[in-house]
Amino acid sequence: MAQSGKGRLNYRCPSCFMRDLDIDMFYDKEKEEYYCIRCQYTGTEKDVLEKNEMARFRYRRMMDRITEFED
Amino acid sequence: MDRFILNIIHRPEMVPEYAEKVTGHGKEEDLSRDSLLTESLDIFKTQQSIAHKHGFKTTIQMTYASLFNEEAVQLAKEHHETYGDEIGLTLLGLPCEEFHEKYKTKDFCIWMFSMEDKKAIVTDVFEKFHDRFGFYPQSTGSYYMDAPLIQYIKTQYPTVKCAVATCWEEGPKAYHTCNNSWYTLFDGGPWNPWIPSKQNTHAPAENEEQDAGIVAIPHLSRDLIACFDGNGSNFGTHPQNVLRGMIYHDGQYPYLYNLIDQYRHLKRYNRGYAYNMMFVGPGWMNKMGRWEAPYELLLKSYEDAMAYYAQLREQGELEDMTMAEFADFFRETKTYTRPECAIWRDILYGSEKQLFWYADPYLRTCIDMNQGGALVDLRPYAAKIEWEVGIGTRHVQDASYPFLIQEKYRAGYFTHYAGEGTVKSCKVVYNGEEVDLCLCRTKAHFSEDGDTRILTLDPVEIEFHDLSVVIQTIFRFQEGSSAIGIERHILEMSCPEAEIELLEYFTGCYGTTEYPEDMTGIVLSCGSPEEEKRIEYAYKCREEEVEDAKEASVLIPQIHTRARVWAEEEVSAYIREGYAFSPMYTLGLKKTMKNKEVLRSWLKVEKAD
Repeated sequence: MAQSGKGRLNYRCPSCFMRDLDIDMFYDKEKEEYYCIRCQYTGTEKDVLEKNEMARFRYRRMMDRITEFED
Repeated sequence: MDRFILNIIHRPEMVPEYAEKVTGHGKEEDLSRDSLLTESLDIFKTQQSIAHKHGFKTTIQMTYASLFNEEAVQLAKEHHETYGDEIGLTLLGLPCEEFHEKYKTKDFCIWMFSMEDKKAIVTDVFEKFHDRFGFYPQSTGSYYMDAPLIQYIKTQYPTVKCAVATCWEEGPKAYHTCNNSWYTLFDGGPWNPWIPSKQNTHAPAENEEQDAGIVAIPHLSRDLIACFDGNGSNFGTHPQNVLRGMIYHDGQYPYLYNLIDQYRHLKRYNRGYAYNMMFVGPGWMNKMGRWEAPYELLLKSYEDAMAYYAQLREQGELEDMTMAEFADFFRETKTYTRPECAIWRDILYGSEKQLFWYADPYLRTCIDMNQGGALVDLRPYAAKIEWEVGIGTRHVQDASYPFLIQEKYRAGYFTHYAGEGTVKSCKVVYNGEEVDLCLCRTKAHFSEDGDTRILTLDPVEIEFHDLSVVIQTIFRFQEGSSAIGIERHILEMSCPEAEIELLEYFTGCYGTTEYPEDMTGIVLSCGSPEEEKRIEYAYKCREEEVEDAKEASVLIPQIHTRARVWAEEEVSAYIREGYAFSPMYTLGLKKTMKNKEVLRSWLKVEKAD
């Protein structure tokens, strides 16, 4: 089995991201999956992108343009 | 005054942080790789071009590596001539073949070197700069500049008047986010520019004697809620930081503009002055993409941010300055004791939470309206704690200014089943029931009365089994006093004849991280002129109380700090020692209160010699 490398973009582990940890994943070409060396997450690129969407759940006003700041 | 000032800073970093590690994955380390050098300079050119396209002048902070690159030097000279850019000198970007050969180390953070090496590197870098440009720079910086380093630079190169001197709340949280591998441990400083003291960079100078001789600016303008709780590198005026935080969708990131606009709004609390700083290192815009974002999005985000700043300038809402120009402006308009204030509202999570941040030469604190106006962070700047950092000192990496209260690291109101966390709040007691104001969510309003900044909280209602009480809290910060005034007004009681008891308490510790420090040697005392009681900390869970007391205080010899609480009204004062599972101390004031009465108490931090 050949060594793993970085994927097309340096995807971070979505599971770790949700606990405020930025850790790049590595790509296993044979299994066609990304995997985290810190936690137990593995997933395809599609799954990573879906989980990244999930990670945004806490940003409820992420897409709002806020113009009023008065106390 | 009605001014919003912007500093835009670029650095030609010939070996950008991240680029070698990230984009060079799978290759042997080679800092002189042609492709790396070419790309690095290209990114700098791109950043400069975007700023100039929008009519901005920048501060070019030359790196040591770039001083060996003829093209980078020529570009800086041309841009100075053509666009009025300032040519400064950063102590970031040291790594290059020449540096490695000379210093035989891979260390690259100036504050972590030994003092001997700091002096050698500063001399080397500044003289090299002089060789290339024929003058010494007016601005410098790094992610952190410790006080002895600033003093050495100021002594040797008095032209320096401005420096990037810290990254706000980039401490253990950022370290953890980077899988415990990024050693930027310097929590506890101001979030907006300040005049640092000679004793400790984080702590602003109280007077000319303490003045370190420069104006310090923070690296980036950061979200005062998100960065307090989360990774400092996701929530700042750094477009690629916002991408790193995944705070975008379909190439849109309104949060970035909300952040800039909330900083503009801080004029409201600072007599018409507001500030922003953007300083994106080239590694964040590399062609391989970063943080799931392709290069196109990295580039677009930078262009969009600059375009928004330009739009504000066109509307007369923004002025761009170089760092040296800003230092002159700041010196003309700032007094030593004038505080920096910010009511900051949540603009990201939808919580409607509100924090009030306050910093002056004596203290920095944070008041959380979501916890009834509890103090959730307290840094005793009055102590001007001398905290040398770098190899050969007691703090090789940890440059944070110590706290007495930090609810994220050392718990706040909530603890797990046992013990206490650090917080200053008030408990209301009636017929065996006890309610902490930490559980009363409210909002605050800012006003001024002469040199006193006033934070007035909306009244909150406390419901006991057979009594309801309406209480209003007002904070007063009298400029130059080193103290916080806290008023608890009993506005209404459902039973006007009832009596309640207020426990105005301060539970603290000391430290710079999540982990407890040894409390041995701390001295707690409370008393009156007639009677004083003391506890020398030994983890024995002891308590003492004095009726009709004058004050309660704590002396923390480890950080040369004393904190005192007292009241204008007659109160009992108490002190509580902690124990090994709860290594805290508590100072408290106790008073029986009736309807319409007020408890006026004070918290003061001082230097203990």
